[in-house]
Amino acid sequence: MVTTTYHKAGSVLDHSLESLIHRLRGLCDNMEPETFLDHEMVFLLKGQQASPFVLRARRSMDRAGTPWHLRYLGQPEMGDKNRHALVRNCVDIATSENLTDFLMEMGFRMDHEFVAKGHLFRKGIMKIMVYKIFRILVPGNTESTEALSLSYLVELSVVAPAGQDMVSDDMRNFAEQLKPLVHLEKIDPKRLM
Amino acid sequence: MPVAEGKNVQQTVELLTRKLEMLGAEKQGTFCVDCETYHTAASTLGSQGQAGKLMYVMHNSEYPLSCFALFENGPCLIADTNFDVLMVKLKGFFQSAKASKIETRGTRYQYCDFLVKVGTVTMGPSARGISVEVEYGPCVVANDCWNLLLEFLQSFLGSHIPGAPAVFGNRHDAVYSPADTMVQYMELFNKIRKQQQVPVSGIR
Repeated sequence: MVTTTYHKAGSVLDHSLESLIHRLRGLCDNMEPETFLDHEMVFLLKGQQASPFVLRARRSMDRAGTPWHLRYLGQPEMGDKNRHALVRNCVDIATSENLTDFLMEMGFRMDHEFVAKGHLFRKGIMKIMVYKIFRILVPGNTESTEALSLSYLVELSVVAPAGQDMVSDDMRNFAEQLKPLVHLEKIDPKRLM
Repeated sequence: MPVAEGKNVQQTVELLTRKLEMLGAEKQGTFCVDCETYHTAASTLGSQGQAGKLMYVMHNSEYPLSCFALFENGPCLIADTNFDVLMVKLKGFFQSAKASKIETRGTRYQYCDFLVKVGTVTMGPSARGISVEVEYGPCVVANDCWNLLLEFLQSFLGSHIPGAPAVFGNRHDAVYSPADTMVQYMELFNKIRKQQQVPVSGIR
């Protein structure tokens, strides 16, 4: 099933983290925030097409025995420029642990990897992640990492069937409640390249 | 553990199922295992500088929420059925080999701790062979029950019993997994594909 992901992001400096977590605990569903420690690897398959095919493989480092997660994200949907969130097609697949060996066999090569450590909140179908990205110093060695910056990335996302535009309105309303602690915006991925 | 045999496919399947029923096996629904073959598209080959590989994407009705993707002598990935959706997205890089879909369909039988599946292997409209899969439920280590399986097989297959499946190699003491079953089906399907078409009559 191809689903659509709606996405907004922003960031907070380390010293503002506690205030943000406190506000999120008040606004969101969980009683206690869930923490996560994930290792994500981004793989590319180069063909004669202009742009390579990108797949993201993610595994939990603190929950043994959980499946690996493979995700495909499509190009951002052109459409309503007034839409408040970035909208992309996505396909999410749970897999066995030999995912990276399998991707290499298919011809994919790892482009980059990182460790993400932080908190996860939910409000209805919205997922809010507040996490820090760590650069992996020696490829494949997740024990030795260093923080990429002095801030935490804040992501608000929803995975839903296609065409549910009221989702991005709900996201805007939620994002309003997080101001001025953090400003969540629709990030244009092209700006980052 | 699939085994291929038979002159007239339809009659041999009936013979086998009758023998099983005489032994006391109970019918328990149907099963289906299918396999689609993909090869790396020419456009990807050029830049990778490697020979085209064949990738098999298989499904087994025993595991309805899963999809198995494997390379011959390579890893077998177990994923959920969204993997099929991903293959559609990847069609610029991996193309389905024409008319390559092969499947086996038939009846499931339960006999005490044994699960036996006898299926007709078809490619398109033509029946190409027979598969027989036997699973001994209580045991997860191949070495511990191989002799028992052989003895059971002999009771209804007579002299057509197979050798130890290659999938175990040196790992006779490893814990069995569904991926091991799929590798065996892939090998069986490849063997059947290479055989000459079996003369058939009266196939519905």
